[in-house]
Amino acid sequence: MRSKTFVFVSLLVLASMLLAACQPAAPEKVVETVVVEKEGQTVVVTATPEEAVAEKKSIRLNLGPGDVPTLDPALATDTSSIQVLWEIMMGLTRQDEVTNEVQPALAKSWDISEDGKTYTFHLRDDIYWVKYDAVKEEVVQVMDCQETPAPRKVTANDIYYGMLRTLKPETGSNYAYVLAFAVEGASDYNNGKTDDPATVGVKVIDDTTLEIKFVEPAAYNAAIAGMWVAYPQPSWLIDGDDCTEAQGDRWTETGFNQGIGPYVLKEWVHDSFITVVKNPFWPADVASVPQPKIDEVTWTMLDETAAFAEYETGNIDAAAVPLADIDRVKADPELSAQLTIAPNLCTYYYGFNTKAPVVDDVRVRRALSMAIDRQALIDNVTKGEQVPAQWFSRPGLAGAPTLESHPDLGIKSDAEAAKKELQSYLDEKGVTADSLDITLMFNTSSAHQKIAEAIQQMWKDTLGVNVKLVNQEWAVYLETIRSDQTPQIYRLGWCPDYADANNFIREVFAVNGSANPDKNSDGEPDGGINWKNEDFEAKVREAAKELDPVKRVELYAEAEEMLVVDAAAIAPIYWYTRVTVTKPYVTRTFGSAGQESVDKWDIDMAAKGQ
Amino acid sequence: MTAQLKLDAKASAAGGQPLTQKGESLWKDALRRLIRNRAAVIGGIMILILYFFAIFAGVLAPYSYEKQTLTDQNKVPQWLINVFPTMKPYAQVSENYLMGADYVGRDLFSRIVYGARVSLTVALIGPFISLLIGVTYGSISGFFGGRVDNIMMRLVDVLYAFPSLLFIILLMAFFRSTFSKPDPGTFSYALSQADARLGGMLFIFIGIGLTAWETMARLTRGQVLSVREKEFIEAARTIGATNWRIMFRHILPNIVGPLVVAETLAIPGYISTEAFLSFIGLGVNPPTPSWGAMISDGAQVVRTYPNQTLFPALALAITMFAFNFLGDGLRDALDPRLRGTQ
Amino acid sequence: MGRYVARRLIYLFVVLFAVSAITFGLMHAVPGGPFDKEKALPAEIIRNLEKRYHLDEPLLNQYLRYVKEVFVPEFSTTKFSSNFEDDALFKFKIGGVYVKWMNFGPSYASRSRTVNDIFRQQLPISIQLGLMALLVAIIIGMPLGIIAALKQNTIFDYISMSVAIFGVSVPVIILGPVLIWIFAVTLKWLPATGWGSKPPYLLGFLPTSMGWNFFKYAIMPPVALGLASSAIIARLTRASLLQVVREDYVRTARAKGLQERLVITRHALKNSLIPVVTILGPMFAALVTGTFVTETVFGIPGMGKYFVISITNRDYPVIMGTILLYAVFLVIANLIVDILYAYLDPRIRYD
Repeated sequence: MRSKTFVFVSLLVLASMLLAACQPAAPEKVVETVVVEKEGQTVVVTATPEEAVAEKKSIRLNLGPGDVPTLDPALATDTSSIQVLWEIMMGLTRQDEVTNEVQPALAKSWDISEDGKTYTFHLRDDIYWVKYDAVKEEVVQVMDCQETPAPRKVTANDIYYGMLRTLKPETGSNYAYVLAFAVEGASDYNNGKTDDPATVGVKVIDDTTLEIKFVEPAAYNAAIAGMWVAYPQPSWLIDGDDCTEAQGDRWTETGFNQGIGPYVLKEWVHDSFITVVKNPFWPADVASVPQPKIDEVTWTMLDETAAFAEYETGNIDAAAVPLADIDRVKADPELSAQLTIAPNLCTYYYGFNTKAPVVDDVRVRRALSMAIDRQALIDNVTKGEQVPAQWFSRPGLAGAPTLESHPDLGIKSDAEAAKKELQSYLDEKGVTADSLDITLMFNTSSAHQKIAEAIQQMWKDTLGVNVKLVNQEWAVYLETIRSDQTPQIYRLGWCPDYADANNFIREVFAVNGSANPDKNSDGEPDGGINWKNEDFEAKVREAAKELDPVKRVELYAEAEEMLVVDAAAIAPIYWYTRVTVTKPYVTRTFGSAGQESVDKWDIDMAAKGQ
Repeated sequence: MTAQLKLDAKASAAGGQPLTQKGESLWKDALRRLIRNRAAVIGGIMILILYFFAIFAGVLAPYSYEKQTLTDQNKVPQWLINVFPTMKPYAQVSENYLMGADYVGRDLFSRIVYGARVSLTVALIGPFISLLIGVTYGSISGFFGGRVDNIMMRLVDVLYAFPSLLFIILLMAFFRSTFSKPDPGTFSYALSQADARLGGMLFIFIGIGLTAWETMARLTRGQVLSVREKEFIEAARTIGATNWRIMFRHILPNIVGPLVVAETLAIPGYISTEAFLSFIGLGVNPPTPSWGAMISDGAQVVRTYPNQTLFPALALAITMFAFNFLGDGLRDALDPRLRGTQ
Repeated sequence: MGRYVARRLIYLFVVLFAVSAITFGLMHAVPGGPFDKEKALPAEIIRNLEKRYHLDEPLLNQYLRYVKEVFVPEFSTTKFSSNFEDDALFKFKIGGVYVKWMNFGPSYASRSRTVNDIFRQQLPISIQLGLMALLVAIIIGMPLGIIAALKQNTIFDYISMSVAIFGVSVPVIILGPVLIWIFAVTLKWLPATGWGSKPPYLLGFLPTSMGWNFFKYAIMPPVALGLASSAIIARLTRASLLQVVREDYVRTARAKGLQERLVITRHALKNSLIPVVTILGPMFAALVTGTFVTETVFGIPGMGKYFVISITNRDYPVIMGTILLYAVFLVIANLIVDILYAYLDPRIRYD
C-alpha cells in the first residue's frame, strides 16, 4: 500500500511540474503578464454592457488563418499585418484602396523639386497619438512628458524616427529594401556601410515639414512615402523617455500599442482575433480617410472554409467565398445576391527558364504560352471570373496598360498559332512533340495543382507535348526557382507592395529582380527566368522616371510586349479577382490592392438585427 | 495480409524446431479457428477483392485515372442527385461517370480503383517494416530486461520523443529536395527514380517505416514484460528451456494477439498518415490517385459535391473494416488459451 | 521506485539533448531558409536578418547558443528589458537578483512574438482540447470495448466494433465540416469556430471560467479529434479484456462463485487496462500536438498549427521549441504510464 501512495505522490509531483512549466513564474510577475491580466478584467466588463449600448455599430471580418505576424510597421510584410496597420496607422500619403490614386493623408500637400527627386511634405497638425485605455474603456490621447502634459501630435520627427528605425540593420526589416532602393543614402545605412543617420536623405525641417530625397525622379515616389515602412513610429514607447517605460519589441501588444489611424487597437488575442475601435480624435476633413462610421471592427483569423461557415451562421459580416463553394453560392438565391467579384491587383504566371533545354527556344515558349486556353481554365478550374492575362502588370496599377486602351497588347490564347510555332521548332530539330522532355514545377498546394493539371492537359491536347509535373514544398521550391536548378517551367504569383507597374515588371523581371536573380552580382541573371535584354532594362528604367502618365503607360506597354511576346519569357495566366459575399446591411468599398478601408464602410444595425 | 505473411514466416520458423505434443497443431489449429470465424473470413475475402482491384485496376477502371475532361468537371449521375437532392440546383448531370467526375473532370470511380494501389501498398509495407523492426527490438529488450532493456528503451525514447508526423514532414522535405536532381548512377539517383516510378510513394514508405516501429517496440516490450513473469515461463525455465525457445515458443505466441490487434489498428493510421501527408502536400505526386488525397480534395467540397469525398471515404472505410475484422479473427485464432475451444 | 523516477527524470534531459541535436541538424539540412519569400529579398536585407538572429555564425555556435539560452539560467541585478533577447519562459526575482530561464528564442515568422509567448498563450488551449479529446476517447472507447468483449461474437460485438471502426475511418477533415454544417450552420446550437478561453489561464493552462461560454466551443472539436482515438481504445480494451477473462485467476474467481459483475469489475477490468494505459501516454501527447487539422477546421487558436507551419516557414526556433515540447510531454507521459504499470500489475518491478 505504501508503494501505491508513493506512486500517487510522484504522479502529483510530475503533474505539478508539467503545470508549472506552462505557467508564468509566481513570485514577481513580469510586466506583460500584469497587463494581460488587466486585459482580462476589461473583457469581463465589456461582456455585459453590450445590450445597454444598442447603438454601437460593430462588424466582424476575417483576415485568414494564422496569427497576424506583427503590428510593427517596420517589420510588416504580409497582407494581414498591413490591413490592420492600414486602420491603426497612417502614412504621409495613402493610395485610394479602389483606384490606387495617391492622395494626401498625414501630409496636407507636398512640393517636388525641379529635378523631381526632392519631396517636401507639409504635415497636418491635428493628428494625435492615441491608445485604448482598458480601465476607462475608451480611446485616450497619449500625453508627453512636460510638467503640464500635452497631447502628443504626430510630427515630422516621428516619421523620421520611423523610417530610420526601419532602415537600421539591427531592426532586421524585410521591407526596408523598398526605402533602401528609393531613398537617397538609405541603402548604405541599411546594409551597415555607414552608421551615420545624417547620410540618409530624410530631413526634418520643422515639426510639420519633412524633406525626402529620392534616388530617381520616379512617378511612384509619393506612393513609397506613404508605405507602411515609412509610417511614423512612437520613439518614446519603443526606446522609452522621461515618462514612458521602454517597451522595445513588445510595443505593439495589447495594452501598450499606440497609433494614429482612424481606428485604435483595443485587443489582440494572438491566433484568435484583433479588435479595433474608432478613434474619436480623427479629424473630419481628411479627404482620403473619413471619420469612421463603424465603432468597432473585429478581425478573426480563420481558415477560408471556417470563415465562410461563420458567414453562413451570421457571425461574420463579409467573407471570401472558397472556390469549392462557388457553384453552390451562385445557385443559392440569397447568397448569390450577396456575391461580389471585384478586381484584385495580382497576376498568376508561369515563368520559363530561358536557358534550360527545349524552352531555351522562344518558339517553344511562345507555343506553350499560346496553347493555354486561359478562358477555359478560368471557367472550369479557378471559377472566380478572373481575367485572362495578356501581360504581367495587372491593369489597375498606376502606369499599367489596360484592356480598354491596349486590347491587342501581349499574348492571347491561340491554338493554331501555337501549333505552327512549335512545328517550326520541331521541323528544325527533327524531333517529335511527344519526345520533348519538359518539366513544370509548382509549390505543393491543391489549388496550384489543379491549375497545373489542367494546363498539362491543354498542352497535351493542343501541342501533343507531355509535360511532367513536379511539386516541391514551398521553402525548397523558392530556393529551387532562384538557383541554377530552376526548372524549365515554374509557377508564381505577384501582388503589389505599392500599386505601381514599376513594382511589377521592373522589380520582378529586370536583372536582379525578384524572379530574375543575379546572385553573384555580375550583371548576368543566374536563376528564375534567366533573361537579360538591354532594351527591356532601358525601357523600364525610362518608364519609372516618366512623369507624363500617358507616355508612361506606352513605355510599359512596349516593355510588356518584349517580355511576354517577343521573348515570351513568361506566360501570364490570369489576373486575380476577389470573390466575396457581404451581408446586405453592410455598405462597403472593395479594396483592390490587398487592404480594405473599413473607415469608409457603414453598417445598418437595425437591418442586421432583423 | 501482412499479418498473414508474418504468420507464415513464424509458422515455418516454429516448424523448424522439434515441437512437443500439441505444439504441432498450433498454427493448423489457429487456421481452422480463423476459417470458422465468419467476420474474419469476410474481412479476408474483402481484402483479397481489394487487392484484386488494385492489381487489375488497368482492366477494371473504365477510364484512365489522369484523363481530364474539363467540361465534365464536377458532373454527377442522376442517381446521386436523387440521393443528395441539395445538389439539384447547380449540379450538371452526366451518366458517363458511375460516381461522378472530380474537379477537373476525371472519373471518380476509376481514380478510386487505381487509388487502391497506394492505400493497400501502404497497408502492406507499413506493418511489415514496423513489425519486423519493432517486434525484434522490443522482445529482445523486454526479455533480457535490466541494463539491455534500459539502454535499448532509452534509445527508443529518443526516437520516440519526436512527433512522428513532424519527423516525417522533415524527412520528406529532406528526401524530396536532396534527391530531386541527383547525378545518374548514384544511389540517390536510383532512389529518386524508384520514387518517381512509384508516384512518390517510396519516401512515404521510408518515412512511415522509420517512425512506426518504435510504437511496436514499446508495445512488444510491455507485453513481454508482463508475460515473462508468468508461471508458465518460470516453469519453462525450470525445465531448462533456452532463451530462444522461451522467446519463440512461450512468449511470442502469448503476445501475438495484442500485437496483431495493434498492427491492424495501426494500418488505418498508416493510411491516414499518407492522407495527412497528401493533405499538406507531401504525399503522392499528382496525378497519381490516393484515397487520402482524394478525401482531402473532396473535403473542401463536402457540402457542394458530397460524392467526391463520400466514395473515397467509403473505400477507405471498407478497407479498414476488412483489416479490423481480419485482425480480430486472427487474434481470437492465435490466442493459445482458446485452443481446443469452440 | 523513487530512484527509478529520479533516474528517468535525469534521463529526460539526456533525451532532450539528443532530440534537440538531431532536430537542429535535420532542420538545417533541409533546403530553404526562413527568409525565402515569394518576393525575393535583396542579399543585404537577408544579411541583416541573419545577423539579427545570429544565423551568420557557425552551426555549432548557434546550437550551443540555443542550448545555453534554453537550459542555463541567467542572472542579473538589473531588470531584464522587454526586448526579445531578454525574454524567457520563466522570469522572476529572488532577493535582489533577477533570473530568467528557458528562452526559446523569437519566432522568425511571427515577428511580434517569441516561442515563449506561443507556449504561454497557445499551449494551454491545446492542452484543454487534448484533455477533452482524451476524455471523449475514453468515454466512448472503453464502454464499446467492454461491451464487445463481454458479448463476443454477438450482434453487440459487431455493432460496437463497427461504431469504433467508423470513428477511425472518418477523418476530422470530413467530420469537422459536417458537424459544423449540422450543429452550427443549420441548427445553430453551437458556434462554428473559436475557443472559449484566452489568457490569462488558471494554473497556467485551465480556463478561468468553465460555464456554457466555454463548453459551447468545446463540444464539437474534442469529439472530432477524439473519435479516432476512441476506436483505438475500444479495440484494445476488447482484445485485452478477452484475454484477461480467460486467465486462471478469473476462472478461479468464477469458480468460487463470485458474481459475474464482480468478477469483471474487480478482477478482469483492472488487469485488462494495461495495454490500454500503454497507449494513453503517447495518445495524449499526440492529441495535444496533432491537432493541426482540427484547429484549422474549427478555427481554434492552439499550438497544433505551429508544428506544421513552423516547418513550412523554416521558423527554426519554433521548430526546435515545438519538438522539444513534444519530447517533454511524451517522456513524462511514458514515465507516468510506467508507474501506472507497476500500480496495475504488482508483478512488474523496476528496481
